[in-house]
Amino acid sequence: MELHDIYYNKPEYIETASGNKVSRQSVLCGSQNIVLNGKTIIMSDSIIRGDLANVRIGRHCVVSQKAVIRPPFKKFSKGVAFFPIHIGDHVLIEEDSIINAAQVGSYVHIGKNCIIGRRCILKDCCAIGDNTVLPPETVVPPFTMFSGSPGRFDSELPECTQDLMIDITRSYYQHFKANETRK
Amino acid sequence: MATYMDVNRVQYVAFSGTVAPLSKLYFCRHCLKLRSRDCVSQEVDSYYCSNCLENMPSPDAKLKKNRCANCFDCPSCGHSLSTRATSVAFQDPDNPGKSTPKKVYYLACGFCRWTSRDVGLKDQLIASGGWQEQENPNEKRISELLDYYKHLAQKDQTEREKKKYSRRRSYLHLSEKFGLTSHAIKKRSALMGIGGISIKDDDLSVDIEPSLAIDKVEELPDDVFTKPIVLTDVTTIRQRHANPDFQPTHISQLYPRHKTMLIKRSQRCKECEHNLSKPEFNPSSIKFRIQLVALHHVPEFRIMSLPNLQINKEVQLILTLFNPLDTLTHVALLPSPTDELKWDTAKVVLPTCELVLSPRDDTAEFDDTVDQQQNFKDDPSVVVSRKSNKIGFIVKVTPMIADDDVRISFIMKYDYKNMTPALQTEKKQPEITWLQFPVLVNLGKITG
Repeated sequence: MELHDIYYNKPEYIETASGNKVSRQSVLCGSQNIVLNGKTIIMSDSIIRGDLANVRIGRHCVVSQKAVIRPPFKKFSKGVAFFPIHIGDHVLIEEDSIINAAQVGSYVHIGKNCIIGRRCILKDCCAIGDNTVLPPETVVPPFTMFSGSPGRFDSELPECTQDLMIDITRSYYQHFKANETRK
Repeated sequence: MATYMDVNRVQYVAFSGTVAPLSKLYFCRHCLKLRSRDCVSQEVDSYYCSNCLENMPSPDAKLKKNRCANCFDCPSCGHSLSTRATSVAFQDPDNPGKSTPKKVYYLACGFCRWTSRDVGLKDQLIASGGWQEQENPNEKRISELLDYYKHLAQKDQTEREKKKYSRRRSYLHLSEKFGLTSHAIKKRSALMGIGGISIKDDDLSVDIEPSLAIDKVEELPDDVFTKPIVLTDVTTIRQRHANPDFQPTHISQLYPRHKTMLIKRSQRCKECEHNLSKPEFNPSSIKFRIQLVALHHVPEFRIMSLPNLQINKEVQLILTLFNPLDTLTHVALLPSPTDELKWDTAKVVLPTCELVLSPRDDTAEFDDTVDQQQNFKDDPSVVVSRKSNKIGFIVKVTPMIADDDVRISFIMKYDYKNMTPALQTEKKQPEITWLQFPVLVNLGKITG
């Protein structure tokens, strides 16, 4: 199936020079610590906690409604410290997911309503099924799909996952269009 | 996309007859055929642990029963265990009354809070390893049987060698099943030493006790019916199956298990024995040394829009077609001659003209100004949209069966510039071959 056009109200989104589309209804805390590398969509009601640590998101990513991206912390004998979070290129994060990972590679698909625990490492070309709970410090290797609670190895992904994810995130961006007539 | 979109709507038929979406198929450049998972031979390239992402050579993996030496799974929930450090006050034996703090380590699950202390495993003084392993009660019997079968296999092989001295090499893979190769080589070199005289040492055969059935089964304890069962203390089927050699029934018997390893595989065409896919050795790498997936060589169809499907009523359906190749491609759609798969439930009118696809251009994304519309003389009643290497075209469909999915099939024929013989013979001009692949499309239920 081909993706269909998704229309948004033009005044609701801010489009930057590098093509990022950020909803005004999203919450970007500490925006000086948040880097979006271009053509990334941040949808309404999503929260990015740049006030805790640096958040870097690559090109062509999609952060859907009500998703939360929050740098992970580690407890030490003298209090806690927050660590920066890096998200690669062509990453698709669906609705209501909470990301506490230390690292999310490129070409990753995170389903709806997931919880990615503290300091998880999601390698390139992996997928997380809907409603998955990844406990803290889980490692998801490339070309695997994890699902369930706790998230466990579920299936293998095809060799061309990289091409598929590039295609998906690119066409998502192309189909995410402004609806100027509706007010 | 395999996880985001319904890729099973459009499927291709591989050479073996397997039906699969294009993303799960391979394309053999040498036989020019579509290969599915069923018609390629799978080879294990490397073993790696999904937690520490470390490689293990295959003899080591065999020895360790395909389990990681350092990582453990939680016996309760299956998540990977992590090592926790804590300090414990140790009594000094020379100086009672004085205690020194010492760092100790234990295993803990971050998900269900199980710890190695729950089953009474002693804390370790080093951060990794040193955990005491559970001994399988049937270990002795298993190793006896294993010895016996190794011996049998060896005997078998020496006999075969005697018979077919010239062909013995081809059987080496069989002995590999029992981990015998090194054994056999040693044996053979010993044989060479005594100049081909047949050996009689086989007769010092390993005897095994045959298994015996027992008449009397251990009786159930008296309190089995009276003692109330605490369900939270009984293990689940999943927990028992994770530990097949012990199959614990009570949660106090749950011991950590070494993590099973995952594999990296390469695929080989069964017909020409060329590699179709070979990943890089490093477990965290996503690159391939050889990657002949169908998605890179075969034009891909997708359903653009689903019309209102009504029985016995002709509707227009828009399909899109992508060209993954960097050459101009001509595609013709032919009706499928026979419906062996009993797939079709609708009549289909295919475009009669040739569909021309411009080459794939990775720079097109950054260049919005070029309008290629003029270069092609498309029939506007067939081709409805054209953008870089992608077109949308109309197919007319008439559903015939009311209470089933609407399914159509056709054959795609396209010109493929085959570079392989050109590379081999140093010819400058690539060979042009016309390839044909059957395509199956499922349009879903009738809506009206």
